[in-house]
Amino acid sequence: MKNKHSSHVGREVRVAWAITTKDMRTYYTRPPSIMFGILFPFSLFLSFSIGRSTPVATLIPVLIAQTLFFSSSSIGPVVIPSERANQTFDRFLTSPVSLLAILAGKTLAGIIYGVGISVIPILVGMVFFGSQIAHIGALIACMALSSLAFSAMGIMFASIPGQTPGQVMMPLNFVRIPLLFISGVYTPVGVLPTWMQFVSMLSPLTHTIELARYALGGETFFGPFVNITVLAVYAVVFLCAGIRFHIMNQRKE
Amino acid sequence: MQTEHAIVASNLTKKYGDLVAVDHIDFEVKKGEIFGFLGPNGAGKTTTIRMLTGVSIPTEGTAKIMGYDIQRQTVEAKEQMGIVPDISNVYSELSAWDNLIFTGRLYDMPKAFRRSRAEELLKMFGLYERRNEKVQGFSRGMKRRICIAMALMNQSSVLFLDEPTSGLDVQSVLIIRDLIRKLNEDGLTIFLTTHNIEEASQMCDRIAIINHGKIAAIDTPEKLKRMVESLQSVEVAFEAMLPDTLKALEELPSVSEVVRQGDKFRLFTNDPSSVLASTWNYVQSNDLKLITVNTVGPSLEDVFVKLTGIKPTTADEETEKA
Repeated sequence: MKNKHSSHVGREVRVAWAITTKDMRTYYTRPPSIMFGILFPFSLFLSFSIGRSTPVATLIPVLIAQTLFFSSSSIGPVVIPSERANQTFDRFLTSPVSLLAILAGKTLAGIIYGVGISVIPILVGMVFFGSQIAHIGALIACMALSSLAFSAMGIMFASIPGQTPGQVMMPLNFVRIPLLFISGVYTPVGVLPTWMQFVSMLSPLTHTIELARYALGGETFFGPFVNITVLAVYAVVFLCAGIRFHIMNQRKE
Repeated sequence: MQTEHAIVASNLTKKYGDLVAVDHIDFEVKKGEIFGFLGPNGAGKTTTIRMLTGVSIPTEGTAKIMGYDIQRQTVEAKEQMGIVPDISNVYSELSAWDNLIFTGRLYDMPKAFRRSRAEELLKMFGLYERRNEKVQGFSRGMKRRICIAMALMNQSSVLFLDEPTSGLDVQSVLIIRDLIRKLNEDGLTIFLTTHNIEEASQMCDRIAIINHGKIAAIDTPEKLKRMVESLQSVEVAFEAMLPDTLKALEELPSVSEVVRQGDKFRLFTNDPSSVLASTWNYVQSNDLKLITVNTVGPSLEDVFVKLTGIKPTTADEETEKA
């Protein structure tokens, strides 16, 4: 028996939400999620910021961006290989729902995780270091688009046919860590050489940091419109590529 | 959709590069049947089940479930089926109750209905009292039952069971076989893959034997046995044997092969009456005493061995092959 009067879209949304809530209950407190999603960005932040003369309040956008980046992109690579190993991912593939809804559910679990964790530095900044939200719209766009893009990036990497989170995390970190160094995390884009500014513009993380700085009253080199546009484009590209790669996996199965 | 077949596989093929795992197979499973799918390891059983259930996309061919094409009418086809894979793919971190409720949500079942269905199934499977316990503490047999219950949540018309009793204790095996029979009596079509030939022989209305990705035979267990009349045999046991008994029996007319099984000899032949007569002559001329004489038809295992060509190998031979 199905839900009466249910439209196809309504059904897909309900099933996607069921997958999200199940992933939240099952995987948020798993050691790899905590390690790669929470400890990793906070440790990196501390190792790069301790001992610097920069005021803490100016580093809050960096921490927001790093937590959004690492937390959102970690859930897919933890959940999907684990589910592949115990064949629970097959449960989704055999249920009457599209691959899009399955991956949307997984992506949403990453978004909620990323947003939830990145709220911590915002509150810490406001309560202890006097940070103020100057542009609430920019902050919302930053958190929504960045968590979507990075969660979709994690889902895309999770198409690598591994059966442990480590098998996906390793190649993902080959991309994530270099992105930290080209994205103006610790050196604002404006002081980088021109060629580095161009490279930096291609990184989605650059635009997360820029938007976070702008939202907290700082400056953005590329401007909030470019930041939002680039993040939106990356979100779409990662989502489409993720779906494509998972379909290719099904063909190879 | 009106159709007399629950499953129709047409020209179903799966290739992995140059390897053809499933090679243009065709078969139908009638509604209400228990259909066995037998084959040695690597024959293509699990690949076939994964294509039939939409996990894997066929390289060629089509599969229909209750008339719905699994590739083109995916949602409708998947609504008709429940799947129990070869390992119990339950969520160990969730309780038995939550596993069933989550399955109900995956099938978009209304809240009240999924709750009543979960309760009904947990009671049917004898797990209602332990519904709030996390599945990770359950025995293998209990996890298997939860897995079957999850496959039945959506009141499917076709149930795919991949090695459902493999690795379970005797009690769990009996419980699960009994459940399968009851579900089938209630009209559920069952597609059963198994290594256990005796289980297939006892439970299935029809059996397909797959080998090297091709269907070697499809028929009822009894008709399959009749396909290999040359595997009829005479089983004899003597009170005391002579040192050359095995050799003497091998030389009897019409005997194609003699296999010693414990204290018995099995004489394969396509003419049991002639072998009985010559065995009797051998007994009398050597002053032996017979304690057992049986004519034995081919077992499903004999058919399986004959059709798949598998032979018992020693560990050394296996190592050499590897």
